[in-house]
Amino acid sequence: MALSFPSIEWVEEFKRQINSSEGYKKAGATWTAGVVALVTSAKPEIGIKEDVGIWLDLHQGVCRDAKIVTAEDAQKAPFCITGDYARWKQVIKKELEPVKGMMQGKLKLKGDLPTIVRYVKASQELVECTTRIDTKFLDE
Amino acid sequence: MAGYQNRILEVDLSISQMNIIDVPVEDKRRFIGGSGVAAKLFLDRFNPKVDPLSPDNPLIVMNGPLTGTTLPGTSRFAVCGKSPLTGIWGEGTCGGNFGPELKFAGIDGIIFKGVSPTPVYLSIEDDEIELRDASELWGMDNYILTDFLKQRHGKDKNPKVLSIGPAGENLVKFAAICNDKGDFIGRTGMGAVMGSKRLKAVVVKGTKKVEVSHPEEYAALRKLLITKSREAMVAQSFRSMGTDAGMDLGMMTGDVPIKNWMIGEDLELSANLGGPAMTERYLTRNHACSFCPIACKRIVKVDDGPFKTEEGPGPEYETCCTFGTLIMNNDLAGVIKANEWCNRYGMDTISCGATIAFAMEAFEKGLITRKDTDGIDLTWGNMTGVIELLHKIAKQEGIGAVLSEGSRKAAKRLGKEAEELTVEVKGLEAPMHDPRGFHGMGLAYMMSIRGACHLMHLSLGVEQGITTYPEAGFQENYTGQTSEGKAEMIKLCEDLGLPFNSLAICEFVAWTLSANELAEMVRLTTGFDFRLKNLLACGERTWLLKRGLGNMMGISAKDDRLPKRILTPLKDGAAAGSVPDVEKLLREYYEIRGLDEEGKPKREVLIKAGLEDLAEKLHG
Repeated sequence: MALSFPSIEWVEEFKRQINSSEGYKKAGATWTAGVVALVTSAKPEIGIKEDVGIWLDLHQGVCRDAKIVTAEDAQKAPFCITGDYARWKQVIKKELEPVKGMMQGKLKLKGDLPTIVRYVKASQELVECTTRIDTKFLDE
Repeated sequence: MAGYQNRILEVDLSISQMNIIDVPVEDKRRFIGGSGVAAKLFLDRFNPKVDPLSPDNPLIVMNGPLTGTTLPGTSRFAVCGKSPLTGIWGEGTCGGNFGPELKFAGIDGIIFKGVSPTPVYLSIEDDEIELRDASELWGMDNYILTDFLKQRHGKDKNPKVLSIGPAGENLVKFAAICNDKGDFIGRTGMGAVMGSKRLKAVVVKGTKKVEVSHPEEYAALRKLLITKSREAMVAQSFRSMGTDAGMDLGMMTGDVPIKNWMIGEDLELSANLGGPAMTERYLTRNHACSFCPIACKRIVKVDDGPFKTEEGPGPEYETCCTFGTLIMNNDLAGVIKANEWCNRYGMDTISCGATIAFAMEAFEKGLITRKDTDGIDLTWGNMTGVIELLHKIAKQEGIGAVLSEGSRKAAKRLGKEAEELTVEVKGLEAPMHDPRGFHGMGLAYMMSIRGACHLMHLSLGVEQGITTYPEAGFQENYTGQTSEGKAEMIKLCEDLGLPFNSLAICEFVAWTLSANELAEMVRLTTGFDFRLKNLLACGERTWLLKRGLGNMMGISAKDDRLPKRILTPLKDGAAAGSVPDVEKLLREYYEIRGLDEEGKPKREVLIKAGLEDLAEKLHG
């Protein structure tokens, strides 16, 4: 059954996919820089009344915790990437590579750039994990 | 016209004569400045058949109308002439501080003609301009020379220095021109042209203003653009990691060439040579060109070890590849040392490093032996050997003399098998962006006016998704490993990108702005009625002009090709199995550009662009 993005169920499945991914386990093996949060901007017309945060506690190739949080809490993470719903949909559908998206200003990054740049491969593997989730987009 | 000083200094070095000229307003409107105006001057006044190292080849230093204004990214200038490396149109552009200072001295550009009977340098202090004896300076490297001249001329204000090192004096074909130690006109051997004229340096100080046409609107635009260019992600990336920020991502996208373009991926190399590595291990501080909010320049220091290097200008992405991934060197300190020597001697790090990579492969295959190299071991990754070789190249000693001709001529001397190891187009070694990952870049290499080039157009930013300009007709995103639609993309990249070298604006800043904003910069500075359509028309006209010059210098359709190595699929990495469809790319591009079977712009295309005189010269 397709899981709505974003939702608690989708985030739990995302965690499961990350921890099943040999690719992410290898690429993220040295990551100790802390939580990565993703923020989707509010879009009331499709039922997202306020900004939604996804909290990913990533550590040495493992996702220790994944949950829905407020945008305010998400901004407290060492790394926080913010984008419109349409952009996250493009990322999940592999129509927008996240680092490209950041370069073009379509996704906004808060966090230490040199650290993120070292883990481009890991970010690609995380995107691969999202593509394995049967996702229902709220605007379709 | 505002923005311009409306004065070009013409210096005949043969007879030590100087006078002031200017270009017609209409040529400023049509070609703007920088290398666009330089190309028009060359067409009008000089012979395309000239020997590049003869007195008759001019060396043209040219600002743009924005140079010396306080708009972001406007510190650049161009240096042009016929290239001794390629035998066709040569140009390089450079940031730093020299261009604005020349503008403050009341000068838009300098045309050097002839050859001085003895070494000289040109001193410009506002209206006090003189040629001075440089006999005691001949042989100095760029760092020592720059410090010496700044001390000699720096009583009341810090002068800016343009100089050549021993490589330019010795006519190394890829000799570069140095600007205040840290910035270079690297490509196409303009340093050798300067050396052939026995011109060692230009020292400039100025106190004049640069007028703008619409001061209030200009001030508002400036404030907006500085904020935009400072806050853009690509700006933040370059500020924190330098241009070497491109190494890690490039390794994932198939952009970075490895082992003379033979390998597709090596994550250990990028981890040791990339921007984060440089920032963590060797960076002491950032440095910025005049009026730049990005500050991408690195100042680095290697404290100890065999490649100990005193604090000074650090390597860019291209250098980290040519002296890193391309030659299988894992040691960033070695790259920094090689960069320092190239800076001191004054050599293009792209052509020099790529020629050394060619030599290493030739060594591996037994086409060059230790006997040929005077005992230097050119095993892959041996940076000690590379540094030894750099000295020989700069001094034109032994094998260095052969390699100083560039990889194309060096390979010709070694034979057919060696020629297959070179990666150049029209004699210019390819920069560090692999067309197998980005097919549009392959087309850009084939059609770039000065040979394989990543900067005469916007392909690097657009095709790799760093920027886009939908208002100019670009798509939001492009897929790298397809040749579909790339002819149209590259023509647009050239039409919008070439004016950057005419405006003399930094491409990195331009990536953060919109095309309409770029046109506004011109309008509000110069007062020309200038919109985006004018910018694109200028780009097209400039491309046709430079292509026509290239045709007159000998370029034809047969030269528009990619080397065998680029057309050989990689076995690994993100670009594995992918090669550009050269036939499709050229067929479609020739159609869009209006080129005939010989590779010349058609008569009617030239006339439509307002290039009637060029049409006459090319077609009779």
